[in-house]
Amino acid sequence: MSLLALTLACRCVFQLFYSFFKSLVGKDVVVELKNDLSICGTLHSVDQYLNIKLTDISVTDPEKYPHMLSVKNCFIRGSVVRYVQLPADEVDTQLLQDAARKEAMQQKQ
Amino acid sequence: MSDSEQQQNAAQECAPQWPEKGEEWSDVEDGTEMDCGLLQAMAEEDEEINVYNEETFGMDLDSHGTTDGPGDDLQFGKPSPPTPPPPDPKPPSPRRVPSPPRQKPQYLPRTAPGHRGRFRGQRGGLGRGQMFEDPAVMRIVEGRPSIKSLDSAIVDYGSAMIRSNFEYDRLSPSYRKTRRISGSVLQDSAIVCVIGHRGRGQHLNSSFMDFPYPASTFRGRRGEPRGSFSRRQFGHRGPSQMHAPMAPGSPVFSRQPLTPRQLYNQPLTPKMMQLRFGANSPRPSPFYSPSSNPVQHLRYPGPVTQLHPQHKRLLTQKQRMFQRKLEGWDPYCNLMTGKEKEWIIRLQMIQLQSENPYLEDYYYQEYYRRKEAKMAEEELGIRSKREPPKLTTPYITKTDTYTPVVHIEGSLGQVAVSTCYSPRRAISAVHAVQAQSPHEEQKDTRQQRLEILSKIEKLFIVLLEVEETERMKTTVLSEAEEKRFMEKTQRKVAHIYSQLQHHPDSGGEFLPFLLVSKGKKLVARLLPFLQRDSALNVLCIVTSNLPTLMSRDSDEALPVLYPPLRNVIGGLTFSQLIGLLKDLMSSESLTTFECLTLACQNKFGLSLLYALLSHGEKLLSSGVPLEPSIGDFETWTDVIFQVAGQLSQCSLVEPLLLPSNLLTLFCRYLDKRTVHQLKSNMESATAFLALPS
Repeated sequence: MSLLALTLACRCVFQLFYSFFKSLVGKDVVVELKNDLSICGTLHSVDQYLNIKLTDISVTDPEKYPHMLSVKNCFIRGSVVRYVQLPADEVDTQLLQDAARKEAMQQKQ
Repeated sequence: MSDSEQQQNAAQECAPQWPEKGEEWSDVEDGTEMDCGLLQAMAEEDEEINVYNEETFGMDLDSHGTTDGPGDDLQFGKPSPPTPPPPDPKPPSPRRVPSPPRQKPQYLPRTAPGHRGRFRGQRGGLGRGQMFEDPAVMRIVEGRPSIKSLDSAIVDYGSAMIRSNFEYDRLSPSYRKTRRISGSVLQDSAIVCVIGHRGRGQHLNSSFMDFPYPASTFRGRRGEPRGSFSRRQFGHRGPSQMHAPMAPGSPVFSRQPLTPRQLYNQPLTPKMMQLRFGANSPRPSPFYSPSSNPVQHLRYPGPVTQLHPQHKRLLTQKQRMFQRKLEGWDPYCNLMTGKEKEWIIRLQMIQLQSENPYLEDYYYQEYYRRKEAKMAEEELGIRSKREPPKLTTPYITKTDTYTPVVHIEGSLGQVAVSTCYSPRRAISAVHAVQAQSPHEEQKDTRQQRLEILSKIEKLFIVLLEVEETERMKTTVLSEAEEKRFMEKTQRKVAHIYSQLQHHPDSGGEFLPFLLVSKGKKLVARLLPFLQRDSALNVLCIVTSNLPTLMSRDSDEALPVLYPPLRNVIGGLTFSQLIGLLKDLMSSESLTTFECLTLACQNKFGLSLLYALLSHGEKLLSSGVPLEPSIGDFETWTDVIFQVAGQLSQCSLVEPLLLPSNLLTLFCRYLDKRTVHQLKSNMESATAFLALPS
């Protein structure tokens, strides 16, 4: 039960990015990690910690990471992500701004 | 009779001789037969265990000659340890065969006693020593790639099915050996179904086909002991999983079901409890189960993820495009059963449930709602309007509320309850506003800009509320509520309007806000809500200050104002239109020529001009009585000529929209040559030919 309590505690943090990434599920993204590894793949799922699951991945940089050659799907812990490169036409910036405003409003309350 | 004793005894054995001591070892007939067919032995391990189960738990009437008490039963029946034991390396020599089982806490300590006669009969000559093989030891599967898939973690049935594409060679024993039992955390690794040998024609139990048969999705296990047990848990999904097993000739059938009594003799593992936790949740269809198709190119994020129907549709489209056949069997892919995965996912999803998804999940919901609306619009022309898809709301309504401040009887003061939703606020960050004295002449421009931006943000929040109310209005039906909403909306809109209008010591109404791109967006979104005259006022301001706005529009955010302003223009009277045109021509004390030049070279300006002219033309040609003021028509013709002159001479930018009736307008007043020149000039800027309306 303590596991449940712990997981529930994370709910109060804002869900803007989770909501945002959810809308990108199924699209191709490039995730750059803090260890400079860049992985290109299809966004399969995301959770509230912004852990990312990618399918059908390929390492974008010239393959200086040969150990990734055989990997098809991967799970990336949210805390190690530096950037996520998105397709621009899949993002509604105006909506994102509104969502951020709402988020800020909620947080104040 | 302890284990250690027997271990010693076993260890002492140099030859596969069973220790003579102990009642368990009463039967020594097969003691000397230690076959080296380890493979076969291991392959048939479970068989023995199952047999033992039956016998121990009362099915079999053979006299065991064993004095094993219930303790032993328990010990034996104890299912596999929660973590699959590492595959036991095959003992290098037959001698060691007896010992591993001893060291294992449970598996087959007592198989031997008294059952050998049975075994002999059934196994047809297999060495008795083999029955002591560790059931958890991987068996070597002939002809199939992965041993590891036969860990006491269970190979996913679904994937096995898919692997064979439903056309497996049913008679192939090797295939059967790799068969998997889904959802089988319950399953004892000791009872992991040994598919092959059992199914080898011996016990094809047609009763398996009967549904009333305990919903044994665990095919071929004589873990039918779990049959009725599992029915309680998985009965609701038994049928769904029966489909696959219904493939004719599927071999794994149990020999005979064990009575329910046997179930309760077996202690419940933690895993069983865990499964019980998740068992009542709706079972997703096999298609959605991630385990069912591990190498699918793009699959659903899992059975428990709730997707907007629009999103789902897009994903399935993609899936259909990218389906491809399996690339190979991944031996590591199914370490967790589907059930386990679902349980974990469900646990994570609990915290994501919300009773107000539109608010907390705003971006996602709104994004797909808009996409849906857009696609519906497109499809409207193609086919008749379908029934709008209903959004499944998976979210629960949370009934428990918390009171942030609790007053306990008899206590002084109040106790602040700090929960995970509202941690106690140690510091309240107050928005620091610098109070500037109104008489101060020099204000930092940056400060001013910040003030404006901050004000815009505050107004935006109000605007979002207005839009939200507007959206909800479509669902609310009752008159009184609708009126209330209208009032609230109007109040808010008026508030925003007044705030925008009157900014302390900045030039002009609205202007400071319009100079900022965020302000332009705010105004653009506010315009549809404004009353007619308020909107007209805004339009006037824009037109009068057009040069300034155009020159200071570095972000090119002005076009965002075009659509709402065009709507406003569409409602103008002729006099109002003329007034606006006059403003435009002589804004900011520039000459008409300069104004027009500037306008022609700015996308927004040109589009605005076109829109005004187009509306005038519409009014004139519509035949509606215009009620013009004195001098209106003169002004109108003046404007036409001046604009025509300007347009034909200077280079034009591409407008946002080229109204189709402009050329008609010009034709009426100008000669053909001029019109022709105009036309070519205008069209060179635009991509398309303006068809006369």
